Amino acid sequence: MQNNFKLRIADCGLAVVTAFVILTTFCIARPASAMLTAKANHDHITIDFFYHGSTVSVRGEADPNTDLIIKITSPEGHQVLKQKGKVAGMLWMNVGQLKFENTPNFYELYSTKKLEDILSREEQDKYVIGYPALERHVEISPLANEQEKTRWFDEFVKFKENSNVYSASSGKITTTHTDNGRQQYFILTEWPYQAQPGDYLVTVYAVKDNKVVEQATSNVKVEQIGVVKSLAGLAKDAPAIYGFLSIGVALGAGFGVSMVFKKGGGSH
Amino acid sequence: MYLYLPVALTSINILIPVGLGLAVGLLSGLFGVGGGFLLTPLLIMFGIPSTVAAATDSNQIVAASTSGTYAHWKVGNVDFKMGLYLLVGGFVGGIIGVQAIKLLHAMGNADFVIKITYILMLGIVGVYMFIESLQSMRKKKNNTEEANEEKDSAIGRFLKSLPLQTRFEKSGITHSVFVPIVLGAFVGVLAAIMGVGGGFLMVPIMVYMLRMPMHVVVGTSLFQILFTCIEVTFLQAYTNHSVDFILAVLLLLGSTVGAQIGAAFGKKLKAEQLKILLATIVLAVTIKIVFEITLTPSLLLSQVGGH
Repeated sequence: MQNNFKLRIADCGLAVVTAFVILTTFCIARPASAMLTAKANHDHITIDFFYHGSTVSVRGEADPNTDLIIKITSPEGHQVLKQKGKVAGMLWMNVGQLKFENTPNFYELYSTKKLEDILSREEQDKYVIGYPALERHVEISPLANEQEKTRWFDEFVKFKENSNVYSASSGKITTTHTDNGRQQYFILTEWPYQAQPGDYLVTVYAVKDNKVVEQATSNVKVEQIGVVKSLAGLAKDAPAIYGFLSIGVALGAGFGVSMVFKKGGGSH
Repeated sequence: MYLYLPVALTSINILIPVGLGLAVGLLSGLFGVGGGFLLTPLLIMFGIPSTVAAATDSNQIVAASTSGTYAHWKVGNVDFKMGLYLLVGGFVGGIIGVQAIKLLHAMGNADFVIKITYILMLGIVGVYMFIESLQSMRKKKNNTEEANEEKDSAIGRFLKSLPLQTRFEKSGITHSVFVPIVLGAFVGVLAAIMGVGGGFLMVPIMVYMLRMPMHVVVGTSLFQILFTCIEVTFLQAYTNHSVDFILAVLLLLGSTVGAQIGAAFGKKLKAEQLKILLATIVLAVTIKIVFEITLTPSLLLSQVGGH
């Protein structure tokens, strides 16, 4: 009986110790994974007359035992593109249009290691990380079969990469381990001038054991300002005035130059 | 130096549009063509979206053709009466052409028809002009117009038998008013189908069918192009919002000057020399398009709009 009582006390003690260990582990692990931070240095890009692209750096801190993936995207939407194909077996023509649903206009991906080495396919699909995951996420129509989907998605990526608005690479993120046992990361990206005005989302994923263990986000806003904004607004909101203005300036320039030549050269 | 284009949503080195404008303006002043068939593909090549390239090109042609028309008018080389009849025809033809394009799109083979029409028209015009000019130069006949008169055939007699004959003093010819209107409409239909101004078709039609003197052809063609492009620019700005004002200004900085130089230089060339030069350019563009549709393109997807 006394032995049983001692055993129960021992059981209780073990349970308390176990609970303490679990709690301690949880408390220590929580702050460790919660260390992930992300900050884009240039979060408001303004487009003026002399804009020719910019640079955006993303930096932050992460758990030292994690790999990192940085994804920069614009909101998803649908895009319609002309599709070229062979007509009469030899002539390349536009043969129709393809609609790409759930696609961002801008998609850039950076990772510390090759994506397939650090993240499972399920996790890639869940967070739409990488071209293969994006292909499974995108809906393309009209298509005859699944092979067609791969072919036209590859063409879509080629088209976007050619416009500098899609890219995927590994090894460009630099990481350093600090004295206090943390990992600092940094990447400097060229922001292409082809990226249209709008809101962009920078998502940093901390990856461990083929899974995303934490994510942090930051925003980049690209906005037209000054005369560029006024002209773009006028073209959209007052097209008749814009049309007359364009024609008026062209007529004025044509006559103006004629006058200059008449006065200056006397060639006529 | 780079400038950002607010409608094209891209940035461009200003030397590119100014240089391209100068080159196309030169051709415009020299031959009386708008040059859209050259400039629009070049702008697309430099990253301008196709819809913006085509619309903005029309806008800059307004400036270049104003400059060119003025330069030719000063030396008495614009037949306004003929230009107006051709414009009336072109306007009607444009309406028919737009309906034809709608029909072709509905039938699903628009691109095929457009490309083949383009190649055939450019090819026929280029080859005919080239051979004819070469023959004229070999025979060392100084006056092509006289040579054409000699070749007056059944078609010529038919044209003369039409009602409402009127004299076009500036060109020194007499035609029924229906002739320029129908020919203008024919070019208008083809231009609308091909999505171009049609200068490269109008020039040979004026030379070979209306028998106008080459130098008056250039001035009159520019006068007609000016009005066509004013209409197209407004419609593009109003319905498609695709005219880039900044790009147009950069282009016209070059093209207005180029048109003046072209007009001045053209006066020093003989009609056959002008025709053979234009024929060579038209043939070069034809060959380029043939290569384009037979070689595998690097990208199989492109933006909607334009060619």
